[in-house]
This record gives sequence, structure tokens and C-alpha cells, in this order.
Amino acid sequence: MRYVECFRALARHRTSEIVITSAGNSSQAWWAVTRDADASFYLDASMSLSTMFASGLALAQPELTFWAFMGDGAFAMNPGMLMVERQMDLPNLTHFLVSNRAYGATSNADLPNVGQTDYAAMARAIGLERVFRFSSLDSLEREFPALKTANAPGHTFVILDVEPFSDQEQKLEQPPFDGPELKYRFGRHIESLTGADIFGYRI
Amino acid sequence: MSDKSATTAARIADQLAACGVRLIASLPDNWVMDLIKTIDGDERFVHVPVNREESAIGLCSGAYMGAMGSAALMGASGFMTVIYALTKINYSYEIPLFLMATLRGQAGDHHKHHVSNGLYLLPVLNAISMPYQIIDRPDEIGLISRCYTHTRTYSRPMVILFTRDLLRGAH
Repeated sequence: MRYVECFRALARHRTSEIVITSAGNSSQAWWAVTRDADASFYLDASMSLSTMFASGLALAQPELTFWAFMGDGAFAMNPGMLMVERQMDLPNLTHFLVSNRAYGATSNADLPNVGQTDYAAMARAIGLERVFRFSSLDSLEREFPALKTANAPGHTFVILDVEPFSDQEQKLEQPPFDGPELKYRFGRHIESLTGADIFGYRI
Repeated sequence: MSDKSATTAARIADQLAACGVRLIASLPDNWVMDLIKTIDGDERFVHVPVNREESAIGLCSGAYMGAMGSAALMGASGFMTVIYALTKINYSYEIPLFLMATLRGQAGDHHKHHVSNGLYLLPVLNAISMPYQIIDRPDEIGLISRCYTHTRTYSRPMVILFTRDLLRGAH
């Protein structure tokens, strides 16, 4: 399925989820379809840490629900993250592995072992039970709502098989925020939802 | 665990709890094993052993954005692997992070494989303008809360470096 159309479908099914994106393409695609400037944290160029970042958030705010996107390029850099995610087993976090079978943020450069790696098998071998895979928009539209509202215990891992960005899509706008601006926008949003005091210190 | 090591670990844990630290993400180093065991058995903390040091950076940075106090605990070698994550996440977004690491490779550390840390750990910290505080004696453990608070004021990371003399005693 087309990357941006896949994200458009997810955005349609989103209700109150807080979103963490990863480097490059997932930030571009999510920004393109949502223009969300408060309830999404664009963790650009974190090289595999988007779901760890989201795990810290999900642990800290168990009443909120989090979606974290990660490309398979980032996943290849740190697959052991799944061990930590399984260990934490946070029911309010869904890890979306956006599999475009390329280093999408760097002009679709070759990924090691491309086409051979079975991400679902890796996740199950680590002990994850809620493992899902969507390869078409039809199946995503049909099955994702039930998955999302299942209220099942445990961490959820979703593989999205998408086409790499086209040359035209590579030109999609990056989220137009400087780091500290995004930190405060997102943090103030979390504060408004929860009453938590993130920043504390005031001049 | 020796009495001295247990007392040191307990005092460090008390300091962390007093700062409001709830999450501690760790990777081992022989010098901090007693501290890790102490933290793991302390109900004031959620202890998450992680797969690599960068994961601790991501986890604790996210916890901060969720208003949960946190600390990352690791050895010097592990710290040397996280420079990109620190500069990309914590410097670019100005997200506070409190780290604790071992001051390996100094006089008294007889492990030859830590010579590189002795040579380069402090120069690397200086190169990325990252503040650090060496804690060498029990009466300096109280500096932890000052340094933790500094990360929140400074909106960037800071690392505490524990010496062998503090954690294991001189030899």
C-alpha cells in the first residue's frame, strides 16, 4: 500500500492517541495527513529510539494511549528494543513498524537483508503476543478498528507493509518545528490533558 | 555485597528518590552491580534493564515528557556509545536527562580494556559541552540532587561519574 495513504487511513481511525514519529518519512507522512502540531512528537533522526521514547511516555502516563511509528531502517539498528518493550508490556502503547524495505529517509538506500527478515516472527520469538500485519489498505480499514478497540492487555506490535516514498513524496514538507518549540507544544498538550507538571521551572 | 557498598548504594537510592526519580533504566558495569541490585529491590523505583544504552536515553527522555522523574545508569563504555542520541534528542529538543556512569580508566582501575575510557571519557564530555560531576566520596553523594535539579534548569543532560573508590572501595 502507498505510504501516505496508509497513514491517512490510520489518521482516520485515530481518536485520542498521542503519536511519536521517527526519522524522515514517517514524520513527513504524518505531518502531511494530520498537520498535528500538538498531540504528535516528531522525533526526527532518533535512529531507532522512537518507541523507547514512547515507552517512557506510556509508562509515565498510563491513562493516555500512544502510537509510535518506526521505519524498518530504524528497526534494523536496534531490534533488541523489542525485548525492552516486551518486558515493559505497556498496554497503552502500539509500535507501528512501517516496513518500506529501505532506508527511506536517505533516498531509499538499501536495507540489509531486505525482503528476508520476518519482523512478525522476530516479535513473536521475543514473546510479543499481539502482533499484527497489514499489507493492504482494505485489510487495514477492515481489521484495524477492532484491533484498536480491543482493550486487550499487553503491548501491541503492528507491521505496515508500504511502498517506499516516490521521488515526489520525498519532497513532502518536514514538520516545520524547531526542537524546543515542539517540546513545549507537545508538553503543554500533555499537561493540559493530564494536569501533570512537566516543565516545572519558571523564570 | 559488602557493608560499605550496600551503604553507598542505599544512600544513592535515597538521593534519587528524594529528587523524585521514579524510572531508572540501567545497563550493567561491575562497579554499579550493587547499586543496580539495590534499585531493583526498591519499590520506590520502576527499574527497567535495557538492551543498550541508547534505549535508556530514549526511555528516560520520553518519561520526562510524561512528567516522570528518571535516571539512566550505565558504565563508562556504555556512555561512550550514546553521544549521538544525547546530542540529537536531548540537545536538539532541549530535553533534560540525568545520567549516572562509572569513571573508568582512572588510576585504581586495573582493567586494561578501560584505558580508552580513561583517555577519552572526560575529553568527550568536554567536547560536547556536557556538564559532569565526579563523586568520589560518600559525603559527596548529596550532590546528586543538585545535579538532577540542574538538568531541569539547564534543559539538557548532565552526568554523575562515580569512582571506584566510592562504589567498591580503594584497592
